[in-house]
Amino acid sequence: MTIDEIHTAPSPKVEAETAESLVGPWKVVVMNDPVNLMSYVVLVFRKVFGFDENQARKHMLEVHEDGRSVVWCGLREKAEHFAFILHHWHLTAVLERNETD
Amino acid sequence: MKRIEVKLSLGAVAPLLDVIKAAGDSLDDELAASVALEQIDEDLRSEWRDELIAAQNGDVRNLLALFDSEFFTSGVVNFDEDNADSILRSCAAVRLRLRERYLGTFSDEVLETGEVLFEEMPEPERRHFMCYLFLATVQELVIEHLEPTLSDE
Repeated sequence: MTIDEIHTAPSPKVEAETAESLVGPWKVVVMNDPVNLMSYVVLVFRKVFGFDENQARKHMLEVHEDGRSVVWCGLREKAEHFAFILHHWHLTAVLERNETD
Repeated sequence: MKRIEVKLSLGAVAPLLDVIKAAGDSLDDELAASVALEQIDEDLRSEWRDELIAAQNGDVRNLLALFDSEFFTSGVVNFDEDNADSILRSCAAVRLRLRERYLGTFSDEVLETGEVLFEEMPEPERRHFMCYLFLATVQELVIEHLEPTLSDE
């Protein structure tokens, strides 16, 4: 496979919606799967949550090494919104009550 | 608009298209990734699932549309900022389906490293595995060239 041509243009769109928030009554937890590429998971975290590269990579490594990562906490409605977007990107995301909140 | 043209080997990729099409068709009314809908409000579940499936089907159609008459003439496929996200998602969906339906005999480690002996792999497993790797390569190309600020290491 060869890349014949690369055209450059202005910066790509980023669907960032919010900065990292890990306080609140509901947790959005991303579970590990053996299929999705690490670079893909990092990209999805950056697009969905607006994480910078380090934040996104930290959560990706938690998913990869620990099997799960809490990527957002907050109100139920917003947590559902994020879970829906993560499902749209084919990541396995679940909602959990935040017992420590 | 940023755009990349990729010239593929027709002989190598054309046989994989039937695999992609079959996996895509099997996703017509099923989600590729497991979704714990029981945690979602009951009145939302059906609507949620329907929307995800509709979006998934649209993404798979976009993936298959890459392999048009131009591809069969020149081997070239085009990615741009308009189709990048959809292509990334559809590759993820088809890879998840391939893993679930056809590559269950492989360990997670083997699938992650891709370290297998192709010569010893029977058909059609070999074609499914090749397709699984091909779609990962497509994802890597799109991430590297169409999402530069997101993939800067």
